[in-house]
Amino acid sequence: MNLVRSIKMAFKSIVARRGRTFLTMLGIIIGLAAVITQITYVKGQSKEIMAYYESMGTNQIQISAYKWGSGSANLFQSLYDYCLQLDDLVEGVTPNVYIWGTVQYGTKNSDTMDYSPQLYLGSDQWSLCNNFTISQGRDLTYLDIKAAHQVCVLGSRAKELFFDYSDPIGKTITLSGVPFEVVGVYARKDFSESAEMGWSLDNVIVFPYSTTRALAASGQDYSDMSEFVAKAKSREALTEAVTRLDGFLAGLIGDPSTGNSYGHYSVYSPEQGRESTEEANKKQENMMAGVAAISLLVGGIGIMNTMLVTVTERTREIGIRKAIGAERRSIIAQFLIEACIICGIGGLLGILASYPACWIYCRKELGYIVNPDASIMITGVVVSVLLGVVFGMYPAIKASGLQPVDALRAE
Amino acid sequence: MLIQIQNVFKIYNEGFENEVRALNGVSLSIDRGEFVAIVGQSGSGKSTLMNILGCLDIPTYGDYHLDGTDITERSDRQLSHIRNKQIGFIFQGFNLIPTLSAYENVELPLVYQGIRAREREERVMDALERVNLADRCEHKPTQMSGGQQQRVAIARAIATHPPIILADEPTGALDSKTGQHVLEILRRLYKEGTTIILITHDNGIAATAPRVVRISDGVIIEDRQQEVTWL
Repeated sequence: MNLVRSIKMAFKSIVARRGRTFLTMLGIIIGLAAVITQITYVKGQSKEIMAYYESMGTNQIQISAYKWGSGSANLFQSLYDYCLQLDDLVEGVTPNVYIWGTVQYGTKNSDTMDYSPQLYLGSDQWSLCNNFTISQGRDLTYLDIKAAHQVCVLGSRAKELFFDYSDPIGKTITLSGVPFEVVGVYARKDFSESAEMGWSLDNVIVFPYSTTRALAASGQDYSDMSEFVAKAKSREALTEAVTRLDGFLAGLIGDPSTGNSYGHYSVYSPEQGRESTEEANKKQENMMAGVAAISLLVGGIGIMNTMLVTVTERTREIGIRKAIGAERRSIIAQFLIEACIICGIGGLLGILASYPACWIYCRKELGYIVNPDASIMITGVVVSVLLGVVFGMYPAIKASGLQPVDALRAE
Repeated sequence: MLIQIQNVFKIYNEGFENEVRALNGVSLSIDRGEFVAIVGQSGSGKSTLMNILGCLDIPTYGDYHLDGTDITERSDRQLSHIRNKQIGFIFQGFNLIPTLSAYENVELPLVYQGIRAREREERVMDALERVNLADRCEHKPTQMSGGQQQRVAIARAIATHPPIILADEPTGALDSKTGQHVLEILRRLYKEGTTIILITHDNGIAATAPRVVRISDGVIIEDRQQEVTWL
């Protein structure tokens, strides 16, 4: 029994029962479309999260520390000195103080912007610790910090917002009325989808932390520095550095768990967060795979059911075929091919259906369109054809085992 | 001997209260090129005999040698091959596959034989021409009359050039005129050397066969040769 003829014959019998076949296919179509949509969504989501961590900088250690009654500048100095001691583990450390304020240049005012820039107070090591590199002009320098120069560096997005395509170097912007000279621009580092939407990590302006006094003169008090960022030398040094810094701050501020603390502190590495996020994503993907297996299993059972009905309906035909010389394996092949074609077509339609499903779902949940992976789709078709083999096997074997006499007697 | 069965029993529910002995010790020999009518009332066991002769069923006890090979020893697969190559079936209810055209129905046994497409086409068209249906080859069984359907079934039976044609009440579902036509085709095949085994309950039809085997209650009660006018 050659394959082409078998396939042709299977198509004939499928077309003859197209209504019922389509209903059976629906199980596979919906199952597969749902699976592909979920996997695509999870992939898109985790890609976004990974891109975020990636652009935040690698080997970053975020430190939050506050000590009652002690000047925050003193706290940073101690932290800075300690990090110098850890020079085999820690590459740099900087205050990373997020501040509120109105930035103005000419008619451009941050208060009227849809996405106003994020303002930070930092040291000359701020760009190092936050994974920024200079693309134009110069970075903050040690001298800027020491002498409390009223200068600032713009992220690429902030530069576009205030200066469009003109050269910002040497221009003066004001922060809460206090003038700052733009000395440099950082290269763009955030290429994520959300950056296109406006939420860009490049929408930042950095000022020397030592200018708090000048800012204080304008009535703005930014002297409460409690956020710092350090950068570990390597992935290996990261865990060690986190432990050391944690121990150092425990000694400096006091362990909150003993009740003898004089403030609060926390040391946290996004890298570690990233690992747990990766782990969670993996778990979610596995769960999706589980759901996939279940929904496709149900679809497969539907196929088996239909094939059993088909075998019963066609008992006489099977009898005829056996009487004129069909071997068992010809009968098995015939019904298996039929099941595989139903599943294969269902799989293709499921993939087709997964496109709009992905577009709508990801648009709604992520804010942008994600297309299913080619690899998922190939797997999808292969899996659905395999389902045909697995769930068509029992009905096919049942059909082939019919005794010709009994089968011919059937109505 | 082409067909030789010896002391064949077919017993259903053996040993139970509802035991049925469809065949109760039947012995029969049919030589190559014979035309045999097996006659009996319904329930006489003639259909069971035909199923066993056609290798569709195996006897509970007894021997069956077909062309020298012992059928009772054969596997399912080997029986398929024997049915495919040695026997052409013609049934009362035609037993064509409704989703396939006349051509495809006739082609099917050749497909199972693994014959190449070109030769298949020749043999299918040849068989359909012999039953005068070459022009109807694309028709589905439902688009044909009973007589035409039975002729398609005959074409399917002869397409493989089997030495034996086994016809089970081939005229049962036809009016007398088309029935005669079908019988004429069988006679022509007989004259060409094919062994014809015709199962019928109709004594009129049996009277036209050169050899008549009468069966009743699972045993052969008469086996005689007779003169026929058409020879």
